[in-house]
Amino acid sequence: MKSITGTLSQRVYLLRLLVRRNIKNQYYRSFIGVLWTVLNPLLNMIVMAFVFSAIFGRQTNGLDYPIYILSGNIIFNIMRSSTSSSLPCLVGHTSMLQKTRVPIEIFPASNVLSSLVTFGFSFIALFIVAGFRALPIFGGPHYTFTWETLLVVIIIPAVTIFSLGISYFLSALYVFFRDIKHIYSVILTLWTYLTPLFYSVEALNSELVTKAMVFNPMYHYVEGFRMLLRGDIPNLMMTFSVTQPSILAMYGFAILLLIVGWIFLEAMRNRIAANL
Amino acid sequence: MEESRQVVLEVRDVTMKFNKYEVGVNTLKELVVRAFKKNLKKKKFECLKGVSFDVHRGEAVAIIGKNGAGKSTLLKIVSGILKPTSGYAKRYGRITPLLQLGAGFDGNATGVENIYLNAAILGYTKKEIDAKFNDILEFSELGDFIYSPIKTYSSGMMARLGFSIAVSMESEILLIDEILAVGDMAFNRKCHAKLAEMREKGLTFLIVSHGEAVKKYCSRAIWIDDGLVREDGDINTVFRHYTEEMTKPVTPPPPLLKPAEEKPVKGEKTEKHKKHEKAGQ
Repeated sequence: MKSITGTLSQRVYLLRLLVRRNIKNQYYRSFIGVLWTVLNPLLNMIVMAFVFSAIFGRQTNGLDYPIYILSGNIIFNIMRSSTSSSLPCLVGHTSMLQKTRVPIEIFPASNVLSSLVTFGFSFIALFIVAGFRALPIFGGPHYTFTWETLLVVIIIPAVTIFSLGISYFLSALYVFFRDIKHIYSVILTLWTYLTPLFYSVEALNSELVTKAMVFNPMYHYVEGFRMLLRGDIPNLMMTFSVTQPSILAMYGFAILLLIVGWIFLEAMRNRIAANL
Repeated sequence: MEESRQVVLEVRDVTMKFNKYEVGVNTLKELVVRAFKKNLKKKKFECLKGVSFDVHRGEAVAIIGKNGAGKSTLLKIVSGILKPTSGYAKRYGRITPLLQLGAGFDGNATGVENIYLNAAILGYTKKEIDAKFNDILEFSELGDFIYSPIKTYSSGMMARLGFSIAVSMESEILLIDEILAVGDMAFNRKCHAKLAEMREKGLTFLIVSHGEAVKKYCSRAIWIDDGLVREDGDINTVFRHYTEEMTKPVTPPPPLLKPAEEKPVKGEKTEKHKKHEKAGQ
């Protein structure tokens, strides 16, 4: 028993070192370093708000449009950055995986956790924007803070687990098929457009989209986060009649993907070390 | 005496098969195209065929054999990097696989950061690394370079650091894959001295090597030939037989049947192809 907890704490220590290294390497060459993680979604938000506010700006269920865009993007980015960095991560650590007894699953996990750190910085950016929009300038306060925003802690673990599942699956698959990198980047682009990041489901006013959206896991995470920003709490159960994010769906998708990804990685474990 | 005969490595009927594609398929496109053309030839390649042996505490065993006989694969299985297709390899005690020095160094990180990263990859906790940190630093003789990024190191310096980490951390079984030529002459001598010291302390060694240098440490040798244990016993005897075999006048290899069989088939195909073309015209 003592050795099990000992091994676990050792793994956690290794994971911490790897996350720290990821973050360091990420900003190693960038001049403004960590500030870039804050600036990147902000610049993105400014451009998107400028272009789309006239079309979609009015139909966000009362959430200020810049906050609407920013909140969607930073949640989606957890999944996007962790999966796209995990895709080549096993191949990238070939010498380590072939020559040391390092547990394979630690590399995708470290990438996902690094993305969470980036999310932390982006969340600060969101707070700054929200604070700015709460001021009585440019036509009065557009946003009011609510305590429910703190409940974001129930959404983040679900997105993390979901991203981890996809990361496990992709990193193992990439060992065998190097061209899925291109396929996945197309999928990721399509997924970005299929998720209401700059538009809202209501604005599209299409029955098909409304019905299909329930099956997009990212919809639940993104829209659930926005509900909290508005001061609402997402439903627990899944509803098919009305398109609404549900906590059950968030964790359902997350755990399903984690199981699929984990089983795939576990089944391929030996072939990965032999195939690299 | 009872204590010293304790088994620390138990290798039983280890068989390892690899899927060997004729041509390396590593894209989805290639797989689909080849599946359609039906030339997805998969060959089972048996690398190890039922290898069994025990290593006792404090023993030093050399593994010898031709290139491609399966020595490195065996070492990977013993260290737990690969799982055998059938059979098992059990380890009783802490193991340090030294298959490649500095496997997993990060070029952008400094020497200090890499010491922690590398030792953590080997399975040590922060406390254990902290305790050994000065030993590692001293042994590597890297001085102030330890605070520079690893990518500024020469390959010799990197090997020094890798070796220092591996031998300074307390482990019970050391697996070494032909990496005894570390650094310059002085450092090399120091490495050998360190290994000898570890031997005296009672560490268990498993060394893959071709050189006679292993005789210094090992009393027993296992000769792996074509995936099988050819001989297992006293190092001098095994080495003598091995050397005899290796220096035997080369007999002409038996005629390769397979390619000869395949060639006419290929020829037929192309001829058929030509006929088709002619018919088409």
